[in-house]
Amino acid sequence: MSLPKISCVPASRLLSSIHDLRWLLRSVTPLSVPRRALVQSEYRRPGQPREDKPQWQMFKFDFSKGLEGIKKHFKLLRHEFSGRLVGPEGKPIIEHMLEQNRVIWEFRGPDSLQEWTLSSDREIGGQSEIYLKLGRNSDTCFLHGTLQNAPPRDGETRYSGYCTMRSKQPLASFDRKKHYDWSSFNTLHLRIRGDGRPWMINVATDTYFAHQKYDIYSYFLYTRGGPYWQDVKIPFSKFFLTNRGRIQDDQHPLWLDKINTIGFTLGDKAEGPFQLEIDFIGVCKDYAHTEDFAYEVYKRNPEV
Amino acid sequence: ASAGESCQWRRTKEHRVKAQQSAGGLITTQQGQAPRELFTSVNISVVWRGNKKCAEPGCSAGFLTWMRPREASFEGDFALRWKPRCALLPSTSQLIVQHNEQQQVLRYFRCSPASAKRGPVPAQFVKEDEQKGTKSLATKEDLFEQVAKEYKTKDTFNKVIDVFTKRDIRRRGHVEFIYAALKKMSEFGVERDLSVYNKLLDVFPKEVFVPRNFIQRMFNHYPRQQECGVELLEQMENYGIMPNTETKVLLVQIFGEKSHPMRKYQRIMYWFPKFKHINPFPIPQPLPEDPVDLAHLSLTRIASDLDAKITIYQLPCTDFTESGEEIKLPHIVGIQSPSQMELLAKHNPKKPVFVEGPFPLWLRKTCVYYYVLRADPIPLEEKVEEPYDPERCFDYPLQLDLDLDRDLGDDESFDVDDLDEGPVFAMCMTSQGDQATLNQWISGLQQNNPILGKVPTLFRLDAGTQELQGAADTEPGYRHQAHPEAQREEPQPAEDPEAVVEEESRRSHGMKQ
Repeated sequence: MSLPKISCVPASRLLSSIHDLRWLLRSVTPLSVPRRALVQSEYRRPGQPREDKPQWQMFKFDFSKGLEGIKKHFKLLRHEFSGRLVGPEGKPIIEHMLEQNRVIWEFRGPDSLQEWTLSSDREIGGQSEIYLKLGRNSDTCFLHGTLQNAPPRDGETRYSGYCTMRSKQPLASFDRKKHYDWSSFNTLHLRIRGDGRPWMINVATDTYFAHQKYDIYSYFLYTRGGPYWQDVKIPFSKFFLTNRGRIQDDQHPLWLDKINTIGFTLGDKAEGPFQLEIDFIGVCKDYAHTEDFAYEVYKRNPEV
Repeated sequence: ASAGESCQWRRTKEHRVKAQQSAGGLITTQQGQAPRELFTSVNISVVWRGNKKCAEPGCSAGFLTWMRPREASFEGDFALRWKPRCALLPSTSQLIVQHNEQQQVLRYFRCSPASAKRGPVPAQFVKEDEQKGTKSLATKEDLFEQVAKEYKTKDTFNKVIDVFTKRDIRRRGHVEFIYAALKKMSEFGVERDLSVYNKLLDVFPKEVFVPRNFIQRMFNHYPRQQECGVELLEQMENYGIMPNTETKVLLVQIFGEKSHPMRKYQRIMYWFPKFKHINPFPIPQPLPEDPVDLAHLSLTRIASDLDAKITIYQLPCTDFTESGEEIKLPHIVGIQSPSQMELLAKHNPKKPVFVEGPFPLWLRKTCVYYYVLRADPIPLEEKVEEPYDPERCFDYPLQLDLDLDRDLGDDESFDVDDLDEGPVFAMCMTSQGDQATLNQWISGLQQNNPILGKVPTLFRLDAGTQELQGAADTEPGYRHQAHPEAQREEPQPAEDPEAVVEEESRRSHGMKQ
């Protein structure tokens, strides 16, 4: 695709953010993350000085690791080249054009858990816990933990008590960022078994401007609870725009051509253990759904 | 004394004319605007509206109001609740000073007693008799903490607010008071009460924080008060309370239309109605307190089958044992649908059925536990496909043997293996999850499902997080104590110590060994 990176910004935003063209493309590598770790960084007490180690000191240089890395990346590169001969995104063009359902995430082995990152309010000093493991049949993932509402006593945090699971950004060869292209689909289909708690699904897209760094499109996921699996279908037109958890005034529909991550958050202010099992996450094209966007796009609140 | 002459703030038509004549070369700009000279010490941008009577009973003084020509549209009689009272009335010789209950000189907002150039300034501030001698720092929360624990109700909360509002006409420290009140609301149990929030919003002085020109609007007029207003609305939002017109009117009176609290109110009023009914499995607002009703509600919810029937096997009661001890019997509520009954009837008696639990189910903030009677999935080789009975439905054939293939564009199924976890035969909820109670449930179920008498029933009761067991876990020697689940939980930090898994075989009463 030779489209420039300026894709996901609606026209009104472009005009207003003309001055700010800084966009950090470089991502910060986590410090010495062990291979099986799914959890993000530990709690950093506010005021604690950040480690000022130079970048080269943070990496562990290891010959075998280097060899593994070379093998992996060149294999991916080779797949990419050979995939182009088959068709777009490595699939034959007929399939790419006519596809109606696509399974994006499945949990069929312990390697599938590597694609997910866990996080809870432990990072800001709270006490919630979250764990991820494979389900009994090795066919599903089992996300469980405990939610604690007590805010950390650092004087500035008022609310606390959240747990999230977020997918990692897909990477091409040599750790280049790849995006999901779901432009031929319009519904998100999940198969889950929860315990009656309301979750939130967050979809993060690729953005251009720094203001949009924490832009996430969210929607609610209500679980029924019980021993039966629940099929959840959420059209992408229902996702509303939020930034840092606050719903925004200027809404626009979710652009499906450059999706980075999907995540599930729990923050329903009910203290206690929780669990969620996910069988698969897929996208599908629902021909019966013709809505473009569920919320009003015109300026609702007149200017001050 | 006749208030007409002595009231300084009353302006009749003759008086205005007199002033104009005496002032000579003074300019009176618009009609209705008094000559400037008389208002030098007062804010010049005041527009005189006309005579307004003081609302204090017994005082017939008229006075100036601070209302701007563009009046906000007030709905209902909320505006009338705020009654303007006359300011102090210094006159030439007679000092008519109005006092409130605490002997404080009544003074209107934003005007100083020295504003009138006529007469001496009556700076008579009578010290409060009840002034406390101690010099310790008194926080605004003290007012709330002074209320004893057993009296913390909505009435006392309202009374505390009234004490604060009547104490000082200027409402000094109202911001801290409102912050303290917001924190203490949950102790008094009023955090979900809209009228209390409106009363708290009423604590703000009106019209003082409304910006009056573009500079004030630009520069975040009275930022601390606006933040406090936003904080109040945010607490309402957190508890999911929808504000009403009274809130809107109060916000307009206090902060004006283009303020942050008003914006917050607009956002709440836009998004709340959109998200109010999006839960496909709604939970009734006051949850039933009776455990049997709660069990009824949750079992119908998780059964997800409208044909399912609830059976109450036991109501909570107290029973006396032989030794005279009182034991409390828990409630046992079970649910089973006709399709589940069919599945159980078709179950192979040689294979065991499992009673598993407790599984958590959250209904808003309460967690209830349910138990499940299930069996392992039938392995592929034993699966018998029963042909459809053609007499079941005469309108259309239930089975068609057509050799049609679906095109790639019409394929509506996902490319995932179907999970087969085994059938679920029944569910139950009880407060005590021990084997005796569940035995009672099984015997109750047996009345409708006689096969349960022949099938071995195993109990897999475990504390901690629960998942349904899969086919891979069952071993032929299921009487072993070492459960594979316990082994798997060890690598992870377990939050609760795991209870010992009870696995016992149970035969029905009918078959004596």
